[in-house]
Amino acid sequence: MNASRALKVALPLGVLVVLAIVPLSATPYTNYQLSLVGTFAVAILGLNIVSGYAGQISLGQSAFMGVGAYAAAFGVAHGWPVVLSFVVAALLPAAIGALVAIPAVRLRGNALAVVTIILPIIAVPLAKRYAGVTGGSEGRSVDWAHVPSGTGLEDDQWRYYLVLVVAAVLFLLGRNILSGRIGRAFAIVRTNEAVASAMGISTHRYKVVAFTIAAGYGGAAGFLYVLVVQFASPDLLNFQVTINMLAALVIGGFANLWGAVIAGLFYVYVPVVAGAVDPSRTNIFYGAVVLVVLFIVPGGVSGGIVRLVRALLARLRGRGPASPAPPRPRASGPESTPPSLRAGAGSRKEPQ
Amino acid sequence: MQHAIQQIVDGFAAGSIYGALALALVLVYRATGMINFAQGLLAVASTYIAWTVWRAGFPLLAAVVLAVAAALVLGAFTERVVIRRFEGGPPHTAVVATIALLILINGLTGSIWGYVSQPFPSLFPSGTVTVGGVVLAIPSLATTGVLIVVVVLLQLLFLRTRLGLGLRAVADNPESSALSGLNVGRLLMVGWALAAALGALAGVLIAPKVYLDPTMMDTILVYALAAAVLGGLDSPLGAVVAAWIIGVTENLAGTYIPYVRDDLKIGVPLVAMFVILLTRPQGLFGRRKAARV
Repeated sequence: MNASRALKVALPLGVLVVLAIVPLSATPYTNYQLSLVGTFAVAILGLNIVSGYAGQISLGQSAFMGVGAYAAAFGVAHGWPVVLSFVVAALLPAAIGALVAIPAVRLRGNALAVVTIILPIIAVPLAKRYAGVTGGSEGRSVDWAHVPSGTGLEDDQWRYYLVLVVAAVLFLLGRNILSGRIGRAFAIVRTNEAVASAMGISTHRYKVVAFTIAAGYGGAAGFLYVLVVQFASPDLLNFQVTINMLAALVIGGFANLWGAVIAGLFYVYVPVVAGAVDPSRTNIFYGAVVLVVLFIVPGGVSGGIVRLVRALLARLRGRGPASPAPPRPRASGPESTPPSLRAGAGSRKEPQ
Repeated sequence: MQHAIQQIVDGFAAGSIYGALALALVLVYRATGMINFAQGLLAVASTYIAWTVWRAGFPLLAAVVLAVAAALVLGAFTERVVIRRFEGGPPHTAVVATIALLILINGLTGSIWGYVSQPFPSLFPSGTVTVGGVVLAIPSLATTGVLIVVVVLLQLLFLRTRLGLGLRAVADNPESSALSGLNVGRLLMVGWALAAALGALAGVLIAPKVYLDPTMMDTILVYALAAAVLGGLDSPLGAVVAAWIIGVTENLAGTYIPYVRDDLKIGVPLVAMFVILLTRPQGLFGRRKAARV
């Protein structure tokens, strides 16, 4: 009956089915890359929760991912059960995130963003120094997550499926968090803190919650990273990783679950494509692509796709105008600002 | 004591370099309300221009002047061609646009000049002077002196010239400025140009110490960001004072606290910044803003 609602259920299911079939015929390298896409999609979903949904720019996500990766590698090296490694990899960064966020959320906007840089900046020398835990500058290699015999799968396919399952569960969890009470609180904290306070929503508390969830997702992604790459090193903690994830997120689209998926694809594949075009000019290509996408769809690719799909659906149902209306700055997430609050919306006529 | 004073003077010199870049960040922030993550890379590109001119056989001072002039053009060009599209839009998009510029300029400088570190000559003689029994390095004193001169010139520009008045007006209220007949677009361009020139100055001052390569300013940018935020983001004087505090704290902590050493010394001013901001969220010299409902 309702086409867009049916699409909302069918699309993720369809994507999941395709994702489940792909690794059976793909090369090990493709499976490795796709597993990395899932890994970074989870990390970027965390970043999206704090920056996109709750509106607090964080430049510390790579530190949480790195701590998660080290926790996973440490657990594997010491023979912990896998589930325990995962729990520690997710909860340790979440605890650090909460501890830092509790005082930090007193700051706002740019000051908060700059304060979050401290984490990766300090984490890199610390990781190099405590070589007993982290393996120092060389990092810590592990050898684990081999496929159980009798499944007929290869290691790369097995790891891919593990990443897929964990990522799917985390995305579902994220969707439920964000479409519920917490998600609505994030939206109002992002759009107007004064209104949030007036409604009895503690902006401080929800910002801490956002940072904690984001750090937990970062840590879980770190675990997945060690699962896929079998390696944790100080390079993962680096501030540059956060910067690139943030760029990918804006490309994918703020405050949108698909935005994080597109961002994961972008994060992993654009450097690969750029390297194929000209390995010595990867950064030129990467930077130029980000700029061009920002020029064309400032709201991110996911928002652009959502607008396109909605326009098509409207035409199919015959309710749309004969010629495509100028794209309305439509809300891309379940809870974003009403169109009238968006810049430029006031000057356009609402299609009837 | 002698040693401590030397460390403090060196800290001031390092802080002056952070301060020059922090001033650039503050200028851009005041003009366009965004943090320019590409500021460091613009400085690197300008420093490479100075290096190329110097290698071509020109005197170093001429090369530096030329590089600062090139930076003015580079900054204005960046604002006009790239940043203009994101002004007034969502701030997150603008920040990511500057991050994209950072990656792009890193790639461009790398492909033009390579990724190998190049030695860069110092503008100042490497000798020492003895003041009251304390031996001080001339480059450190001179670097600090340069920054003081720059701050004074900037203050004169902002407070005593028509251009400065226009820049302040646009920073304060772009709409009213436009209605009063100011060419807002051109003034924003001037703001970015001045910022890039300051960055170029920071670049040629730091290059002799750390050698010239495309990642030269990455760490400096973090210090400059910390200084700008600690100073209040909209206060040039605050940024410079904060940069000096950061430079001195870092040097003293790196030397005298055994645990800190060289690799962790960057953390000391950052954590200090965090603690200070918790008690003064608007920064040392920033103005407290009232939220309007």
